[in-house]
Amino acid sequence: MLRFEHVSRTYGSRLAVDDLDLEIKAGELFALLGHNGAGKTTTIKMLVGLLRPNRGSITVGAYDAVASPREVSRLIGYVPDQPFLYDKLSAREFLHFVADMYGLSATVSGEAVAREIERFRLTEFADRLAESYSHGMRQRTVFAAAMIHDPPVLVVDEPMVGLDPQSIKLVKDLMQQYVRSGRTVLMSTHTLGVAEQIADRVGVMKNGKLIFNGPVSELSEAVKGTDGSLEAMYLAMMEQLEGPEPTAE
Amino acid sequence: MSDVALPLAETHERLARDLPSHEREGQIFWRLRTRLCAAHLRSLMAEARLRTSLVIGLSLFFWFGLFALFYGGFEFVVQHVDMPGAPYHAKTMHFVFSLFFLSLQVMLVFSSAIILYSGLYPSGETAYLLTLPTRDERLVDYRFQEALFFSSWGFFLLASPMLMAYGFVVAAPWYYFAYLPVLLASFAYIPCAVGAILCLVLIDRLPRLRRVVLGLAALAVIAIAYRSIWRTLDVSNLEALGRTWFTETYRKFRFMRDEWLPSIWLSHALIDAARRSNNNPKDLPWFESGKYMVVLVSNALFLRIVVGALGKRLFRSSYWGLHARPARQPKRAWGKLDSFVMKLLWMFPRSTRVLIVKDLRQFRRDPVQWSQFLIFFGLLLLYFANVDRFRQHRDNPDVLTWVNIVSFLNLAVVGLILSTFTTRFIYPLISLEGRRFWILSRLPIKRDTILWGKFFFAAGGSWLSCSVLVAVSDLMLDVAWSVVALHQFVCLLLCIGLAGMAVGLGAIMPDFREQSPSKIAAGFGGTLNLVLSALYILLVVLMTALPCHFYLLARKAEAATPTTLIQPRLLNFWMLLGLAGSTVLAVIVTVVPLRRGLRAFRRLEV
Repeated sequence: MLRFEHVSRTYGSRLAVDDLDLEIKAGELFALLGHNGAGKTTTIKMLVGLLRPNRGSITVGAYDAVASPREVSRLIGYVPDQPFLYDKLSAREFLHFVADMYGLSATVSGEAVAREIERFRLTEFADRLAESYSHGMRQRTVFAAAMIHDPPVLVVDEPMVGLDPQSIKLVKDLMQQYVRSGRTVLMSTHTLGVAEQIADRVGVMKNGKLIFNGPVSELSEAVKGTDGSLEAMYLAMMEQLEGPEPTAE
Repeated sequence: MSDVALPLAETHERLARDLPSHEREGQIFWRLRTRLCAAHLRSLMAEARLRTSLVIGLSLFFWFGLFALFYGGFEFVVQHVDMPGAPYHAKTMHFVFSLFFLSLQVMLVFSSAIILYSGLYPSGETAYLLTLPTRDERLVDYRFQEALFFSSWGFFLLASPMLMAYGFVVAAPWYYFAYLPVLLASFAYIPCAVGAILCLVLIDRLPRLRRVVLGLAALAVIAIAYRSIWRTLDVSNLEALGRTWFTETYRKFRFMRDEWLPSIWLSHALIDAARRSNNNPKDLPWFESGKYMVVLVSNALFLRIVVGALGKRLFRSSYWGLHARPARQPKRAWGKLDSFVMKLLWMFPRSTRVLIVKDLRQFRRDPVQWSQFLIFFGLLLLYFANVDRFRQHRDNPDVLTWVNIVSFLNLAVVGLILSTFTTRFIYPLISLEGRRFWILSRLPIKRDTILWGKFFFAAGGSWLSCSVLVAVSDLMLDVAWSVVALHQFVCLLLCIGLAGMAVGLGAIMPDFREQSPSKIAAGFGGTLNLVLSALYILLVVLMTALPCHFYLLARKAEAATPTTLIQPRLLNFWMLLGLAGSTVLAVIVTVVPLRRGLRAFRRLEV
């Protein structure tokens, strides 16, 4: 469903993504992990059409992300790390705009907006202008917009930031349900607990390179001597690569 | 999972096929635009009625003021030059219109390019729309509409009263007024579209161009522009405003009457539409004017197609190129400047110096701030450097009058430009600090120090630049040294007063919810600051300009003053009174807002 073939991206002389080879199949939830600046967001930006790879190709379904960005964006629902909303539109108006952009007919659009408003519990503020929303309300509205066209692929950059525990549970359940129906989720996150709970496969990036790609169970084989949690394994892996972190003492 | 590949491929193809057509996409964006505009208007009427009324009122005042001014000017032309339809009238009006519209044409190119850039490239909205199935050309068109509106509203505000006044003065036929909206709209579209094309091409090429090449090219353009202006205006050996001066000036401005310029098409169209037929059945002014209108409209439409085509071809690649640039690192040389400023401000406490240097760093790393500063002050400098037309006629009392008036007008202009800067960049400083206030509030410094730091930064920074500008203006006008000293003193009063007002009002009326400085500046507090600043500048300049003006006239021309109040023996008294009044006013507008601001800032809970 999603394929990165030898993808590299530089910012000047800095290599942000280095020869990334990755395939994510339909019905799979893939979590991308890594320190700040590891290349996760650059990878996602190349996938959704905000950056072009210097080398390599990215395909979504049958479409190339550089050659057919419009077709690719129809197949993707994207939740950015910093949610964008029009301050002077209500959530309902915003969702209708996005539905129209994806080519949904008036009837389908009306049903989809009602469905997402209910699913993300937006009813209370759906007709208020977005300028009065909290971060969590904005994030939920952006999630609803990303799913309005029922895309085969959901791409989420830091999904849990600013969400209350109830919304975190909602989003986790939703993503699991999503992949069970045969669709794909690519998630970039620092919330290792969530990744451990719901991801079929994790990828760990460091300095632009994908240094691990597989299920959490494989990571525990690669990194010995931890308590078996993803957090402990991830930190141990980074320590092995970098040397031990300085202690508080 | 691979067994679902074939049906999935078919589904994907169907989904992609269902995307909106060009027309449908246009309708969606139009609906978005109308919804956003309606919501903005509703919120303006509900939350900012005073500001809206103020803006509308001032715009109307400005419009009618310009109308009256142009009406008088055109009446002068009709009475003293010639009637409409006569060759001299046409020649004079061609000169006026082509100069006016050519100047605005150049400004429209730059303003449209700058506004389109900020709408297309660093915008969060554009980044979001790029992740939707939006056509690139639609996105460029959507943003270009905004650039067109924001860059050309000033043009309409200036041109419409002028052309209405001309139409009324020459008793133009009905079709002159009917053609006007189409002529103005199509004319404004052309330079705006050229600006959009420049923006797209430049940003597309930018990552591939070396910074040195760009810098050299910019320097070359400035040097050529400066030399052209200098040569055009250099008629110093001729009698000012005399017949030869007019003839020579008219000849030197022939470049603006080239037939390929849209400004000359507009001038032809206007002059033809305004005149009456000369009873010759073959003379059809409406048709002659209509031909130029068709030229303008067809060129505007052609450029629209070009913008669309370039948007489709260049926009996404230029966006990608711009956003893949490496993060900028602070230059070491600037660090030396910071150390120098720290040493220069030795008289302030260290904490104040550190805060001033922090604001200085933010200023020079924000291209919006320094580029606007450079553009406005650079244009003023260019104008001041060319304002020595009166030098050789200083013995003539009439010219002397003009020199004094112009020198004080220049001072007022510097103050007014400065007031827009203090409103746009200094007033929002406290509101913006609010989001990071927890950092400052945890530091072992008094809150007063933060506010004083901002005041000294604003007052010192603006005084450095404004005093240079005022000095250049005075030197080029060759005014007396006593006037130079007076102007420098008034300039200092203006800088301190405007900085005190902006910092004080910013602390009294902070807006911590808003993250955009331009929106903070456009709020009630910002508008109030701008209006009060303008009043303060006018009062200070008038209080010092009028006594100085009469004083110099009386001394140089030994003019007998008819009234008892403006007698030479009383002029010294008026001069001193004006200076004292200005100083008292400056103290009030600095101290009162700052004291109230300090009090509000101490009580602030974020």
